[in-house]
Amino acid sequence: MMNVNVSPPNSARRAAWGWLALCLILLTALALLLPRARLNSSVLAMLPSQSMGAIPPALSDGFMQRLDQQLVWLVSPGKTADPTVANRWQALLAQSGALREVKGQMDANSQQAWGTFFFQHRNALIDSATRSRLQQGGEAQAQWILSQLYSAFSGVSGKELNNDPLMLMRGSQLALAQNGQKLRLMDGWLVAQDRAGNYWYLLHGELNGSSFDMQQTHQRVTELAGLEAQLKSQYPQAKLLSRGTMFYSDYASQQAKQDVSTLGVATVLGVILLITLVFRSLRPLFLCLLSVSIGALAGTVATLLLFGELHLMTLVMSMSIIGISADYTLYYLTERMVHGEASTPWQSLVKVRRALLLALFTTVAAYLLMVLAPFPGIRQMAVFAAAGLSASCLTVIFWHPWLCRGLPVRPVPLMTLMLRWLAAWRRNKKLSVGLPLALALFTLAGLANLRVDDDISQLQALPQHLLAQEKQITGLTGQSVDQKWFVVYGDSAQQTLERLEAFVPQLEKAQKAGLFGQFRTLPLNSLQRQQQDLQLLKQASPAVVNALQTAGLKTVTPDLNPMPVSVEAWLKSPASEGWRLLWLTLPDGRSGVLVPVDGVKNSAALQQLAEHADGVAWNDRKASFDQLFALYRTILTALLGVALVIIAVGARLRLGWRKGLISLVPSLLSLGCGLAVLSLSGHAVNLFSLLALVLVLGIGINYTLFFSNPRGTPLTSLLAITLAMITTLLTLGMLVFSATQAISSFGIVLVSGIFTAFLLSPLAMPGKKERKQK
Amino acid sequence: MLLAPLAHAITLDDLQQRFTEQPLVRAHFDQTRTIKEMPQPLRSQGEMLIARDTGLLWDQTSPFPMQLMLNDSRMVQIVNGQPPQTITADNNPQMFQFNHLLRALFQADRKVLEQNFRIDFQDKGNNSWTLKLTPITTPLDKIFTSIDLGGATYLNTIQLNDKQGDRTDITLTQQRLTPATLTDDERQRFAAQ
Repeated sequence: MMNVNVSPPNSARRAAWGWLALCLILLTALALLLPRARLNSSVLAMLPSQSMGAIPPALSDGFMQRLDQQLVWLVSPGKTADPTVANRWQALLAQSGALREVKGQMDANSQQAWGTFFFQHRNALIDSATRSRLQQGGEAQAQWILSQLYSAFSGVSGKELNNDPLMLMRGSQLALAQNGQKLRLMDGWLVAQDRAGNYWYLLHGELNGSSFDMQQTHQRVTELAGLEAQLKSQYPQAKLLSRGTMFYSDYASQQAKQDVSTLGVATVLGVILLITLVFRSLRPLFLCLLSVSIGALAGTVATLLLFGELHLMTLVMSMSIIGISADYTLYYLTERMVHGEASTPWQSLVKVRRALLLALFTTVAAYLLMVLAPFPGIRQMAVFAAAGLSASCLTVIFWHPWLCRGLPVRPVPLMTLMLRWLAAWRRNKKLSVGLPLALALFTLAGLANLRVDDDISQLQALPQHLLAQEKQITGLTGQSVDQKWFVVYGDSAQQTLERLEAFVPQLEKAQKAGLFGQFRTLPLNSLQRQQQDLQLLKQASPAVVNALQTAGLKTVTPDLNPMPVSVEAWLKSPASEGWRLLWLTLPDGRSGVLVPVDGVKNSAALQQLAEHADGVAWNDRKASFDQLFALYRTILTALLGVALVIIAVGARLRLGWRKGLISLVPSLLSLGCGLAVLSLSGHAVNLFSLLALVLVLGIGINYTLFFSNPRGTPLTSLLAITLAMITTLLTLGMLVFSATQAISSFGIVLVSGIFTAFLLSPLAMPGKKERKQK
Repeated sequence: MLLAPLAHAITLDDLQQRFTEQPLVRAHFDQTRTIKEMPQPLRSQGEMLIARDTGLLWDQTSPFPMQLMLNDSRMVQIVNGQPPQTITADNNPQMFQFNHLLRALFQADRKVLEQNFRIDFQDKGNNSWTLKLTPITTPLDKIFTSIDLGGATYLNTIQLNDKQGDRTDITLTQQRLTPATLTDDERQRFAAQ
């Protein structure tokens, strides 16, 4: 025995203390960072941040945040119109502290205030139809007034004629009614009627406060559900529809929480069981936990330092990924378990160190590729994993030789089986050629059926009951939550309004050309336009007065004084009821207004329309996300190709042409089989399956490298790889059962790819002759 | 006591039945609107057409031309050569529903009337009748105190009493059932967007 290094080298001692110091620093950093950290559970945060285009970020954030706070309800008493149930619901909601500004019935006072505001500012609130009549010089407006006067159903009274002889208020209110409401006013309520004849009363409200963690959101949703049950026990025939981002994010976070707890428990139990069975000692478990927790510590600190927050999804995915870090401990401890008697911990370390570091570098490189993805959640995961895996691996190298003393030395379990498996790979051509061939055929069959689907909605497992309510509300109110709109913005409120006014004619043209169905635009004029309108009124007024006098109305004196309306005054008035959500002014005066569009036929053309206008951006979240999904899927495919080439070149340099090419086979087939299983199980390829492939490549390379380690014995390598594979399946494999389709397809590709990589890894075994030459 | 009356009393159902048997009625109308604070009433006249299956055409000829078309899905009003104003059931149910009543009035459509009014039907003998409608739904009840209809074989008078004390009287004369089909011109107006 050449037991030269009985005592550890001094450098190792220094490294171990150094690593301890670093770990303590990390721990302090965590203690400082954690109290300020946010756990982000919004699904939107998973998505690319640049999707709002050129709009000032503060504006787009403001709009998004406000949108997330909105809640809408429709309450139905049945087929007879009766506001009692809706009144009760409003009362119940008002009691709840979670909401503010619950609006339902408009009382007589606010209806009157509404009318008063319009009357007092009639010269400023001119609608476009009236404006175009005025532009024709007064005759047209006079004719229109007469037609109203003569119409039996218009309800023009003498009082109206005296107060507002130009009928400006009538014009602007008609225009408002035209601006597309499917709802009508009954007893002060906005009411819709479905095809079956049921009446639906509309209520809306805002959540109290702006951002919540999962817990608060869940509390609110539970509270609302309780209120709903209360309503229904009082009025069993009543029906209630709810809509709000809150319901979706609560569903998603509950789902994820469930994923974490069930998958997490299964994973931990599985890993504990496996390790105790193999090593017959609990020490490896503690060593695994140590390296995994130091990995988790480093990952969390790195993520918090870089992003300032942790996304819930990051946590879910990273939890599984950190399981990979157990592989390093397992590889080293397997070596110790088998050769513990013959060599010192330091000799064992030397045997595996090169393979460990090589494996770490490839995996980290694979993860760092993912940082290129535009999704904050995935970037966080990549950073978390890269930092975490490095820390885990270094823990093994610096600490485990000190800590592994007393580990029972055991023969390799299932040795005969493993030896047979290895021998078969050496001698049996049926296995060493047949299996790769069979898998290659399987890959081809799967690839032939491969579908690509970049639909972003896979990211969220949208629950049917929420979707159905949303659809019904959209149908009844005509207000969809498509999130398709133009954002018009400017440095000041007035500039924004002027830009809006310049943009509307183009919108009308596009509408006529059939690019979309309807749009809603703010019924408020810029001060500049208010002045122009006043000029028009002054020019048109004599003709109108003349026409009314001919009809017998002798004493008509229109009030032609300016009645300016500022944005602020309008927002405070009841006239902006139902419109306020579309307007946002930042403290510095920069403002934005949304112009919602529905029935969009050609999103790209609307994008162009916005590009050619000043201060206008087109926002079609889903379409732009789908495009981004597709783009990044393509980019990742290319990156994967590049990675394969680099690996091939490396293998060629290390092993020569023949062996190099053979060592590529497991990598190629593991990618292929991952995709094949995905497609044969009826799923489509998306960005997430590509991300899984990156991992398959990284982990598969580990296996090949452990096996081709010239200093290791194939049997030890096989044992280590088997353990690693089983832990990976226990951890990442659990993702298959996730309720979110994107995550589950990620799991499918990963599991099948890694299992293939495991099956084929003996291909990388050095031949007997090569080993003897060493 | 046991003798059934020879001519049984006329009911709202009879009336609706009677109107249903008149698939196409044309008539001349005279309308007088009396608005408080206006020194003289506003008079207008013209021709109207009510087609059971299609809708209503209301052509005012004097004192200025105004044309109105109303069918199941939209209402189009054209004043003296100005661009038509269209209201559809889709884009404005509230206003449309309101205008839709017009047609129900002309056709004594019991279902629509009962949804919106308290109905007082009276047989005035001699084949003539009156129908007093008191609105029960918003916004009708905010606008009208009552709507009174009167007629015999045909609908002859409509009186709209506004909440503010204003009044509209419509008198229909020269009712005729021929020609029994729409002319091409009329058909086109019903079909126009």
